[in-house]
Amino acid sequence: MPENTSKHFWKSLEERDADLVQIASAGDEFPEDLTTLRDGFGRRDFLKAAGFTLATAAMAGCGRAPVQKAIPFLVQPEEITPGVAYFYASTCDGCSAGCGLLVKNRDGRPIKLEGNPEHPMSRGGLCAVGQASLLGLYDSTRYLQPQEQGTPTTWEEADRAIAAQLQTVRMNRGAIRFLTGTVTSPTSRAMIGSFLRGFADGRHVSYDPLSISAILDAYERTHGARVLPRCRFDRVDVIASFDADFLGTWISPVEFTAGYRAGRALEGEHPRMSYHVQFESRMSVTGSKADRRVRVAPSELGLVMSQLAVRVARKAGAGISWSVSDSSVPVKVLDDLAERLWQARGRSLVVCGEQDVQAQVLCNFLNHLLNNYGATLDTERPSYQRQGNERELETLVRDLRDGKVAALFIHGVNPVFDLPGGDELSALLKKVSLVVSFAERPDETSALAHFVCPEPHRLESWADAEAVAGTLSLAQPTIHPIGTNRALIESLSSWMGAPKPAYDILRDRWQASVFSRQKKERSFQAFWDRSVHDGFAEVEPERAKLQSFKMAAVQPVPGGKAPAAGAFALVLYPKVGILDGRHSHNPWLQELPDPITKVAWDNYACLSPAAAARLGVADGDVVRIELGAGGAAKTLELPVCVQPGQHEQTVAVACGYGGKATERFTQVGPRWFQAKLSVGENGRVGKNVAPLAELRDGALRYAQANVSLVKTGKKQPLACTQDHHSIRVPEKLALPGGERREIIQETTLPVLLSGERGAKHEAHSGQNTEMWPEDHPSPGHRWAMVIDLSACTGCSACVVACQAENNIPVVGRDEVRRRRAMHWMRVDRYYSGPDDEVDVAHQPMFCQQCGHASCETVCPVLATVHSEEGLNQQVYNRCVGTRYCANNCAYKVRRFNWFDYPREERLQNMALNPDVTVRSRGVMEKCTFCVQRIQAAKIEAKQRGEKLSDGAIRTACQQSCPAQAIVFGDRNDPVSKVSQLLRSGRRYAVLGEYNFQPSVGYLKIVRNRPEGEGERHNG
Amino acid sequence: MAEAYPVLHEPWLVGSKSPAQVTEDVCSTMERKPTAVWWIGLAVSLFFLGVGVVAVTYQIATGIGTWGLNNTVGWAFDITNFVFWIGIGHAGTLISAILFLFRQRWRTSVNRSAEAMTIFAVICAGIFPVIHMGRPWLAFWMFPYPNYRGPLWINFRSPLVWDAFAISTYFTISLVFWYLGLIPDLATVRDRTQSGWRRKLAGVLCLGWNSSYRTWQRYETVYMLLAGLATPLVVSVHTIVSWDFATAVIPGWHTTIFPPYFVAGAIFSGMAMVLTLMLVARKAMGLEDFITQRHVGAMCKIVLATSGIVALAYATEFFTAFYSGNPYEQFAFWNRAFGPMGWGYWIMVSCNIVIPQLLWSRRVRSSFVAVFVIAILVNVGMWFERFVIIVTSLHRDFLPSNWMSYTPTIIELATLAGSFGLFFTCFLLFCRFVPVIAIAEVKGILRHDQRHEAPRAHTLAGHAPAPATALRGSAEEVHP
Repeated sequence: MPENTSKHFWKSLEERDADLVQIASAGDEFPEDLTTLRDGFGRRDFLKAAGFTLATAAMAGCGRAPVQKAIPFLVQPEEITPGVAYFYASTCDGCSAGCGLLVKNRDGRPIKLEGNPEHPMSRGGLCAVGQASLLGLYDSTRYLQPQEQGTPTTWEEADRAIAAQLQTVRMNRGAIRFLTGTVTSPTSRAMIGSFLRGFADGRHVSYDPLSISAILDAYERTHGARVLPRCRFDRVDVIASFDADFLGTWISPVEFTAGYRAGRALEGEHPRMSYHVQFESRMSVTGSKADRRVRVAPSELGLVMSQLAVRVARKAGAGISWSVSDSSVPVKVLDDLAERLWQARGRSLVVCGEQDVQAQVLCNFLNHLLNNYGATLDTERPSYQRQGNERELETLVRDLRDGKVAALFIHGVNPVFDLPGGDELSALLKKVSLVVSFAERPDETSALAHFVCPEPHRLESWADAEAVAGTLSLAQPTIHPIGTNRALIESLSSWMGAPKPAYDILRDRWQASVFSRQKKERSFQAFWDRSVHDGFAEVEPERAKLQSFKMAAVQPVPGGKAPAAGAFALVLYPKVGILDGRHSHNPWLQELPDPITKVAWDNYACLSPAAAARLGVADGDVVRIELGAGGAAKTLELPVCVQPGQHEQTVAVACGYGGKATERFTQVGPRWFQAKLSVGENGRVGKNVAPLAELRDGALRYAQANVSLVKTGKKQPLACTQDHHSIRVPEKLALPGGERREIIQETTLPVLLSGERGAKHEAHSGQNTEMWPEDHPSPGHRWAMVIDLSACTGCSACVVACQAENNIPVVGRDEVRRRRAMHWMRVDRYYSGPDDEVDVAHQPMFCQQCGHASCETVCPVLATVHSEEGLNQQVYNRCVGTRYCANNCAYKVRRFNWFDYPREERLQNMALNPDVTVRSRGVMEKCTFCVQRIQAAKIEAKQRGEKLSDGAIRTACQQSCPAQAIVFGDRNDPVSKVSQLLRSGRRYAVLGEYNFQPSVGYLKIVRNRPEGEGERHNG
Repeated sequence: MAEAYPVLHEPWLVGSKSPAQVTEDVCSTMERKPTAVWWIGLAVSLFFLGVGVVAVTYQIATGIGTWGLNNTVGWAFDITNFVFWIGIGHAGTLISAILFLFRQRWRTSVNRSAEAMTIFAVICAGIFPVIHMGRPWLAFWMFPYPNYRGPLWINFRSPLVWDAFAISTYFTISLVFWYLGLIPDLATVRDRTQSGWRRKLAGVLCLGWNSSYRTWQRYETVYMLLAGLATPLVVSVHTIVSWDFATAVIPGWHTTIFPPYFVAGAIFSGMAMVLTLMLVARKAMGLEDFITQRHVGAMCKIVLATSGIVALAYATEFFTAFYSGNPYEQFAFWNRAFGPMGWGYWIMVSCNIVIPQLLWSRRVRSSFVAVFVIAILVNVGMWFERFVIIVTSLHRDFLPSNWMSYTPTIIELATLAGSFGLFFTCFLLFCRFVPVIAIAEVKGILRHDQRHEAPRAHTLAGHAPAPATALRGSAEEVHP
């Protein structure tokens, strides 16, 4: 310390009087040596230690919420704002229908798929499968890199090995086969073609597990070309469908539903309603909507078509002289149908779902007689949605048997699982020296492949599709790829020696062969940009070379052999959601109740009530289906599901179950000591019925004329979401006046058009029912919804849409059996009438957002409250879980979190919607009209300074509905669509007499039947 | 001597007991070593209590899903047990308050244990509303405590909130009433006990009772006032519990008859439970002299009367449903009787209406075995009554698509067993540590001659004069 001798200035007396030395040293802030404190643990050490401890404690305390890497963009992409959703147009590949998609992206990950409203085919609808295919992206069982003999490898090594083998094949002039499903992508098709041209004997074989090849074969006979004309249900006035489930699973159900709906537009100036007759053996979604549904044994369908053909031909003056025997269908029905079809020629349509070329030829004949070609059957722009050719498949199997095939590439199908001779095929595949699979996830076939070259998920890659001639769709990546997977076209390009990214291949091809087919855009760049933006481009179709109708091909179909007394005909059918099993790994689809049976998680043997009674079985009793006899007999044990409307001598079983991909479901659902697995004894969900199908005479056949059923005495309860099937109360409990509940209301077209009943209804609902002054004013918006029951087909797209939008957990088979499915949106299905002529009604049911909500008053902690906009809000973090609200809900639409449902698949959690809370256990939840969407739209309108326009908010269910049966909007706005529909004469409220004042209105079912017949069953 | 007087009624107590003997009889049960029967009873009760604790712990740790409830039936065993136990709890207050006000002196033999039973039953009942919650750790949200959540408080329109108030009030009053009645007896216990912790504890609990005129007078006044206060509670608690259902919209619940119907049912089941316990206690604790044919007969008559009220209520419900013209309402009742859960309804009807009719017969009333069996069956029937009301109304309500069944899981059965375990554990401990008969009160119904001419067992016995108004016996000793 230097000696301070200078004059000292003081600022205050205290300072002057203080120790002078201290003052002098004030200039030196740290007089002591900080590093040499006595105990060696100084203030700074203490602070460091304290800070470290605090930080550690804080980190340890964050155990429940793992540390998230929330790193902001280093260079923020211009168009991306974190937390704001963006939509990218794409194309669905849930099936080969190729519907348009809008992919909702949040922060670099797709979280929801929606229909693209501008898409010319799907028109904004998206089915349950399409909705659920999002989960496939975040599937932890997916291959994320190539595999060699079941072990992961690199693309370089796989390419090298495959190239070497291909070289050998080329040298030996060996046969190379490319086995695919329907390839709707023209680029892929072209690439496969050019790849195969590099070999002496290369052939592309395609088949559809859900085949309609008989239609293509029939056109080859009648029109000289394998085409599939596009059905235009929107132009149809009379539909005769022979076992074609076109609203459920047949070819392109979303497109057809949209068209069918357009043909049944009952609101507006000129109401229009097509007349639909369905002949079928089992109850299908389509049959449930038919105005007249006729039960026909599968063996009789061809005969009935022949009868109809005779009648129509007579009217058309086509000289045919067939002697057709009688069928079980009343002559009056056929006469009436023939007359109606003839009256509506050019506006009628006959479709057939049978895998029988003769029947399909008859179908073509009928359409030909009715002048439907070029009108309701578009041959100019035919469909490419099914291209399978099973004659070639048969040849391939023969070649495999003969050991002729040197290399086999399998794409998009799982032949070991979905073909009848799966076991034989798996033995044959082992003999092929090179089997390459492109499977996205392990399946029965990829397990046998030497190489798996997995394809990326549709949402990760560039792709195109031409589902209908002239309508080309594009798919673009919407997420950074999760693995290193490579698209088919990329793999092919690298095996052809010129590896190129899919984007380049696609773009080059579009520039070369698509751009020239359109005239709107001058520059390719503009055309490409617009196509990517829109997700599709409409171009000139490639002309199908159809010849004129060949009468020579047409023959009557005799009645098939009916099953022996006591025996049954077996019908295999695809189920909405599961289809051929390609999405059986998807928990949303497994938990989706079938629209008709309301059973989830299993396949089962559907029997008519009479047949079940005869066998002495009820729902859940296991029966053994025996096909053939002796040592070659194929048997299958399945639980029975009693199905009204089914033909007496028919047993129907859904295909696509029992696949390897369902083995993962041992993990689904809550775990507690009485919990049961979601898989059966075989470790899988359901049983595979493909062995009971048949590949015969160039067609995959899904029916067997003669099987026997044996009661086993075992029980396997079905995971059914609905116990009681009728709006009528059980007969022995029915009191006079209370037999039928007015929950479903129906009318007939003539009554509707005369407007009498509607007016009466209006008068009734106009009564003043209020005792108290309005205590819930909604001065601004008042949200409401209308469900058109006449339009609703029960397809359940809305159920999955809601599940995806609102983070609804999957609970597993055991919980569904315990009647604890969590779906906020369910579709109730009611039967009425006798078993043979049963009518079906579908009723989407979800929170009715009552004005006088019984749930609100009883909650002790105010966890459910009324909003100013008429919503019943549910405050999850206030809920203590008394379940009183659910008990007191007349519609029973509230769902309780009985457990903490496992969400341990971290990857799957990426699909969660960040706008919606994930509910914990012990909390009640329910539909709130997608309040997050309402808020988002309101904020957007506010930001723009505009008034919220009608239709700006679309709830998840509404958005996905292919039939546009759901309308949402503001009922305070008198011109909104929802207000108009609420004023419709068809509108009624479920349990309206209780004056809950639900915000959801239902529009009566209208059946196109003579007056009085519509309510024939309603008593 | 007794034979010299014409006997109009049978005496309430058997034998000619002096006040000191009464004290001795009642207190000796606490002072003796417990019997083997008691130990076995306690072991069994503790076992069931343990089972219940395990079940409830598992359920709270895992979720309500461990119960058999589903999307349609949101309440079943939980609320059934709750209402059942609350009903059991009714007899105590009825006996202590209403019968006191009506000067029914026979109540003195049973009121102590009936009140204890009330408290234990309400404890059992109180558990269920908490554990039936999805998030029971937030059960305190049911109470309107001051908080920082702004306008987010409780919903005063919700019957569950009324329940919380009603039950906590009822429990408090019952406990205070019971304790008040215990004070003179605790003083007796204190005086009979040798020095040690028991004596000290009894000394504290009897609040320095000195058996003076003034003490007795104040005591009587407070007892009377509390009896007056408790009387409305007999009616209010079950009325409010019945509103849980009556204010709801579910057919079968939405009924204005529920309050009187529930109260009558509660008294019915409570009396049956008192009978069950008393018949066991008199044998097990050797109280045959205090709980006599006449007591049992009187209680049987109450059971019979309330059974009649309940029968009328059942009939009225059906009539109302029929007369309402409401198809949902009609169906609910028809389904209750003849639907898939109709067996529950018929158990209820036979146990609650048919079987109690046997009590018209004096012979049945005087057979302790018969009365015991009937009382048990009435309790079974009353449990089923609540089950029928709750489950069969819920399982088939408005929309047939929602119709579902219900089966309890083992966890629910274990929870029910556990509640019985808790109840009997408490009751057995009560028999052991608290005078099961109100010593001071029962002396009031000793015959006059006996009261005054009894030999003096203890030096100071009988010194304190009994208040004339209440005809009560005095505490044995006056605290020095």
